Order: sequence, then structure tokens, then C-alpha cells
Amino acid sequence: MKIAVLTKAIPSYESSIRVDSSGKWIDESVVNYVVNESDSYALEEALQIKENIGIETEVVVVTLGSEANTSKVIKDGLAKGADRGIFIKNDSVTTDPLSIAKLFSEHLKSENFDLVLSGLQSDDMGAGQTGVLIGEMLNMSTATLAIETQAQPDKIKVKRELESGWFQWVSLPLPASISIQSGINEPRYPSLKGIMGAKRKELNTYDGSPENQSQNFVNLYVPKNEKVTEKIEGDTDTIVSKIMDVLKNKLKVI
Amino acid sequence: MLQFSLLEQIALAVFLLSGVSFFLYHLLLRLKIVLKGKSDFTVNDLPKRILRVFNEVILHKKVASGNRKSAGVLHAFVMYGFIFFGLITVNHFGMAFGLPIFNESIRHTYFLFVGAPWAILCSIGILGLAYRRFVTKPEALGKFSSTSALVSVFIVTLMTTYFIDELHILSGAAEKVNWWIHSGVIGGFLFLIPQSKHMHLVLSPFNIFLRPFEVPNHGAIPIDLEASEEELDNLLLDLSRLSKDQALDIFTCVECGRCTDVCPANRGGGILDPKYHFILDLKDPMLESGDVNVVDKINVEAGWECTTCQACTEVCPVGNHVEKADEIRSFQVLAEGDVPQEYQKLLRNLQETGNTEGASSSAILDELPAYTSDKELVLWLGCFAKHAMDPNFINSIRNFVKILDSAGVSYGVLSNEQCSGDPANKLGDKLTYQLLMDQNVEQLNKVKNVTSMCPHCVVNLQKEYKKYHEIKYEVKHHTQVISELLEEGRIDINPGSLEKVTYHDPCNLSRTLDEVSAPRNAIKAAAPEFFELDENGKETLCCGAGGALWWKKDGGEGRTHLLRAEQVIESKTDTVVTGCNFCYGMMNQGIGPLTPADQEPIKVKDVADIVAENLS
Repeated sequence: MKIAVLTKAIPSYESSIRVDSSGKWIDESVVNYVVNESDSYALEEALQIKENIGIETEVVVVTLGSEANTSKVIKDGLAKGADRGIFIKNDSVTTDPLSIAKLFSEHLKSENFDLVLSGLQSDDMGAGQTGVLIGEMLNMSTATLAIETQAQPDKIKVKRELESGWFQWVSLPLPASISIQSGINEPRYPSLKGIMGAKRKELNTYDGSPENQSQNFVNLYVPKNEKVTEKIEGDTDTIVSKIMDVLKNKLKVI
Repeated sequence: MLQFSLLEQIALAVFLLSGVSFFLYHLLLRLKIVLKGKSDFTVNDLPKRILRVFNEVILHKKVASGNRKSAGVLHAFVMYGFIFFGLITVNHFGMAFGLPIFNESIRHTYFLFVGAPWAILCSIGILGLAYRRFVTKPEALGKFSSTSALVSVFIVTLMTTYFIDELHILSGAAEKVNWWIHSGVIGGFLFLIPQSKHMHLVLSPFNIFLRPFEVPNHGAIPIDLEASEEELDNLLLDLSRLSKDQALDIFTCVECGRCTDVCPANRGGGILDPKYHFILDLKDPMLESGDVNVVDKINVEAGWECTTCQACTEVCPVGNHVEKADEIRSFQVLAEGDVPQEYQKLLRNLQETGNTEGASSSAILDELPAYTSDKELVLWLGCFAKHAMDPNFINSIRNFVKILDSAGVSYGVLSNEQCSGDPANKLGDKLTYQLLMDQNVEQLNKVKNVTSMCPHCVVNLQKEYKKYHEIKYEVKHHTQVISELLEEGRIDINPGSLEKVTYHDPCNLSRTLDEVSAPRNAIKAAAPEFFELDENGKETLCCGAGGALWWKKDGGEGRTHLLRAEQVIESKTDTVVTGCNFCYGMMNQGIGPLTPADQEPIKVKDVADIVAENLS
């Protein structure tokens, strides 16, 4: 079995974000890029499938982006146990899920993966589209929001998370593209052997700039951080009517 | 005097020789395993070691301490009984071969002045201990011990037969039978001792003598990322091995359970039981494999619970370095890649940003003057202070700076200060640790004097880095700096407040850095109404933050982090002072929720706070 795991480098939550000089993107030079959270669960799921399935399996970690941002992501994947890496080098800012999915599909097509696992969504853009689109482009069966998987040589059973505590079991024929929900497993930490072995693993680099994006940023703003605290006092009736007033007229939420 | 036939002499010789052989076989078997351990014993500082053996063996300072004072005294009776009976025993067996070492008058004098009194004390001792073990049954002693019961019977029999013999109560055949019973029991010890915890009676003086001075004493694990596959395999193999000292500890353990009694994780309801998890669980695997590669037999979950506070090591009466969280964690992280999720986040932050919080800037770092070579002191902040892990602590930094200013000491902070690596080191991620240490040593070796308010940082900068690098600078904890400034008269204190003040000793400062007086000097100068908590000095109780447990989000059932705060509240103090930012944070977190609604919460202060507030 051949499994591709899509991983993305995203700005860490703790990074201080500021807009760059173009006004259309963030200043990447002051940002610390880390592995997207749900992608690390996808990688762990792939590694566990490899360990459990009983047939020879290859796990390939795939990423897209600039070298500066993504090198850590690939290294981390290989150190944790992925067998090789595919790096689609793209120095332009690509935020449009369709363009991203096209780039991936283009370079993954010839590999004939049985499974493509991706994180549910990236924590920076949060579109949650890439895995589904790739599935469509590569003629794969597709499932999202997986919270449990049971892989067999010719099919995969997936437990999907639905609304309000409901879930659903679906069985998909392979090849399949599945997006993985955070918390599905306990991601491992790269062992010393893994870290040192990663250097010897194969990494294929492709150039992959998108032709035309169907979506672009016009302007980017950092949300304003304001502290506006208002103390509402009085008897219960006054307080209730004051809160209603704030909700209706000030915040306009009801 | 009794006469012995040749047949009796042969029977006795065979009995004694088989006993001695059995004893030696088991002793050597264990010695052989011990010698397979990593890193050699050190015997530096001989006078200090001899003094330690005198204090801890002869004077029983650790055996008879804490709430085990009376049990310790009873134990001393038994031990001295054994020692004084040495000559009696030699004489006893010598007699059978016509070679007594005492003549009748010396023997009688020895009986009157040494043998008889110690036989009585020894009997009192063993009966008292037996009463404690089999009637009072303190939990720490564990399950019913048949060897302990046997030892009690043996000793009482020895003393009784001794008196019968010396007082000539029996005669003829009965006297001979009495002699043989006495002999049989002594021989019985040779069979009983080596396979039971009673081996401590042979090994503990050596173990106490050989015990390393550093607490904790975990070897360096240098990692070379360019190492060959073979070198890496050797390193990983080494991670599963104990040191010689640790191996000897395990065979010396007397199973008294003091380590578990004092363990904050255990007391807080955790599963960690150092007596078993760090010591006894490893004994059988070592004997079965005949080797020291037993680190993987340490309970992993228990290992992650340890606050690495070293209370277990401090209390051990037979000289064991008990804590093995470092070993099992290093094994889990480096060899297995199995790390709890909350710690993975912490370790990633350290790798990517050089601080525990993943922060990209620090307000207090920007506020303080930068270090330049004309300044006396580097003020090493540490992540806790730098990233306001307890926002109130910022005030304590300002107070320390106020003291330095008042004394005219020039200081500055290093803009490129990385985390000391303490959490990575304690979690067993020696690779991340080295990454941080290497950067820190490079900049620190260019300066002379460093001070920090964080004892965790001080331990690493001063002691741990030395295991890997040549260190050219000196580090002092800020309480030491303050205490010196007071002594030199460079700062003046006018104690203004008469409220009750107590002090919580941080583990890293008291047990690891051996510093209990400097903070007290400073506090007492500022607060005349100072009193001690029950568990103080080197017997302090961990606040619960050590061993990187500060970052453990899911506290589970455990209340490790609340125990000390509870004690502080029960002490009815007005203010609790501490000398560690982590303790400060834990106190604030514990005292707030634990204080009853109708009471004022106890004030938590750093030593710098109470001194700065009372500067004249």
C-alpha cells in the first residue's frame, strides 16, 4: 500500500503576525512556521496503518510551499517514520484551495497512491477543501472528518464525525482521500534514530508554481485588540434590560 | 568449658563452610552485575565520605530521623548488638575447635559490660521493630515479610541462647544443644541475608561510602547528530543501562519505604511509588538477566509523574539515589519517541523559539538594561520571568533589580538568552537540551558573573552544563546575592512589618544546590516573626512544578500541586516566601482556590520582595 500524507507549514499560534509591505500577506520573516496540527494526526494515522496492516506499505510525506517555511515539516515527517518525502516548491503565496489541489494532483498522479491522508483543515486558512478536491481530481473515493480508520488492503472503513455528537461509519474502496480530524490518535515524537535516519531518506523536489489563482487577497488587516469593559449595575430588571439593549443595539447580535 | 568431638567439628565446619559459600556466591553474583553498570564509582573527597559513613551508619542520622526517630533508635540497638556480638561469635565457633579468643575471665568481663547489656538492648530493639512491623503495620513497610519475621525469631533466639550459655543455666547435653541452636541460627543468617533485604547490613556502609555527592546524579547523554549508525546503536543501548552506583543501590535497598512516604507524586494520589518503580521492580530483572539493562522495566506512567524533587534520595537511609525519572524518560524520548502530547508542544516550543512558551518577544527583557562588558552581573531571567508565566512575578524581578540598584551593583540582561533547557533535560529530551545549552554556554563563557532568580536555571547553568562543557563563568542564585549584599552591609533593612512569615524551600535550591541558609538570612533580616514549616530545608516538600510538571495540563487525579499550598495554609502564616519562580507560581495557584471564602488569602512573596519592601 502507498500512502501520501499532506502536511502544511503554518504560522504558529504564538507568532506575532504583522502585515508585510505589499499589504496583501503576512510578513513571513518574523513568523515561526510549524506543522499544521491536524496534519500531524494524519501522519500518525498513516504510520499506524503501516504498522498494523500487515502488507508492505510506504508512507510518503508531501508538502507544498517555500523551502524556508516547509523544510522543518518534511524533516519532522521523515524523522517520525515516513519513508520518503515529496516537496513541491512554490515560493508564491498560494491560498486558493483549488490551485493548491491542482498542484498536488499534478505531482501525485503518477505515484498512484492508494490512500491520501490530509489534516481536516489548515489552521491558517481553514478552508478544509484540499483533501476533497484532490480526491475528485485523482478519481478517489473521499471522506472527511475521520475520527477512526480501519484500513484493509483493498478498502478502508472510516468513522466520520457528524454534528452534535453523531458519527457515521463508511466503507470506501481504494484509492481514497481522507481528511483526518485532530485527536484521532496520539502523535509520536521523533526518536533519535528517526531524526538521524531522516537525513538518509529520499526527498524529491518539484517546482510547482500555480498559473492563475482563482482567489487572491486584496488587503490584509490585523484584528484590532481593544479592551472595552463596561460594568452593568443595578437591580436584576435594570441589568437584564441593559444587557438586552447592548445585545440588540450595540452588538446587533439579536 | 564444652568439649567437641571430631565428628561435631567436621559437621560444624561443613555447615559453616556451606553457609559462607552460599553467602559469598550470592554476594559475588550481585557484585558481578553491579560491575556491568555504566560509569565507574568515584571515591573523591575521602574525608567527606568517611564522615558521611560515620554519620549515617554509626550515628544513624538518616535511619533515626523524621517520624522514624524511635524506630531508628531501636534499629541502632540491633545494629550495635550485631557489632558487639562479632567477637562473641568468633569466640563461640573458636571454642568448638579448641581455639577460643577469650579466656574465662575476659569472657566473663565482656559478658558483664558488653555482651549482656547489648543483648538486652538488641532484644528490645528487635522486639520493638517486630511490634512495629507486625502489629502497628505502617503502610510504607509493605506486605508481610517472612524474612523479617525470621530475623526477629533468629535474634531473640540468639540472645536467649547466649544468656543461657553465659549464665550456665543448663549443663551436660542440654548445654550442648543450646550451643548448637546458637550456632545454627548464626549459620542461618548466612543463608537468610544474601537473598533478602537484609543484604543491606553488608552493602549499605559501602553504598553510603560510594554514593555520589551530586543530587541528582544522572550521567550526561551527549548526542552527536553526525554519529555513525553503530555509535547511535551503542548510545541507545546505553540508555537502557543503569550505572554501577544505581545497580548497587538496588541490591542495597532495605525496603523501608521512606522514599514513597516523602514522594510528592505519591502523596498527591499519583501511582508513582519510588520504592517499587525506581528500585525493587528492577531487582528481579537484574538477577534474571545477570545484567543492568533494565531501564525499560521502569513503569513509564510513574516515570512521567515524578517531579524530580529528590526527596526520595535525600531521605534514603542506605545511600540510594532513588529517582530514575531521568533514565526512563530519556529512554522513552530518545529511543522510543513516546512523549505525552502536552510535553511535545513544550519541546517544540523550545526547539523553535528557544523558550518554553513559544513566545517571540518579552516585555520585561525589553524593560531591563542590556548586559555590556562593563557591568558586574548578568541577570539571567529564565522563561518563567521573561514570559510572565505568573504575571505577579514581574513585580519580584523589579524588586530584585531595586535591591541591586540600592547596593550599587551594575547588571544587564542577555538579549539572546535561551531557555536553560531544564524542562527538556528533565523530560529526557537531551537533544533539545543540548541545542539550548550549546547556545547558552557560548554566550555565557564570555561573561564572569551570572545571577538568576530561577533555581532551575541556576542548577543547569552551574551544574548540568558542566557535564558537557567547560564552564568559565560563575552563577549565583539571587538569594545568595542578596544574602551577601546584606553581610557586606551594602544594603540596609529596616524590618517594618511584624506579620508572621514562613519560607518554602524550593527543591532545586535546597536539595540540589545545597542552599538553605542564604534565603533564611535574607528573610530573617526583613521579617523578625519568621517561623519554619514542618517540612523544611533539605526535607522540603515539592510544590509540584518540578520535572517539567508545570506544563502538565492534565493533572489527572493527582493533587501533587496542592499539597504544599495546603500545608502553608494550615501553618496560619500571613506570608509565605519562596526562592523559586515556579514555587511562587504554584503557591499562587494553590493558595487562591484553597483559601476558605471568609479568610484573607496568604500573601506569596519571593525573597526579593520581602527584602525590597523593607529596604531602609
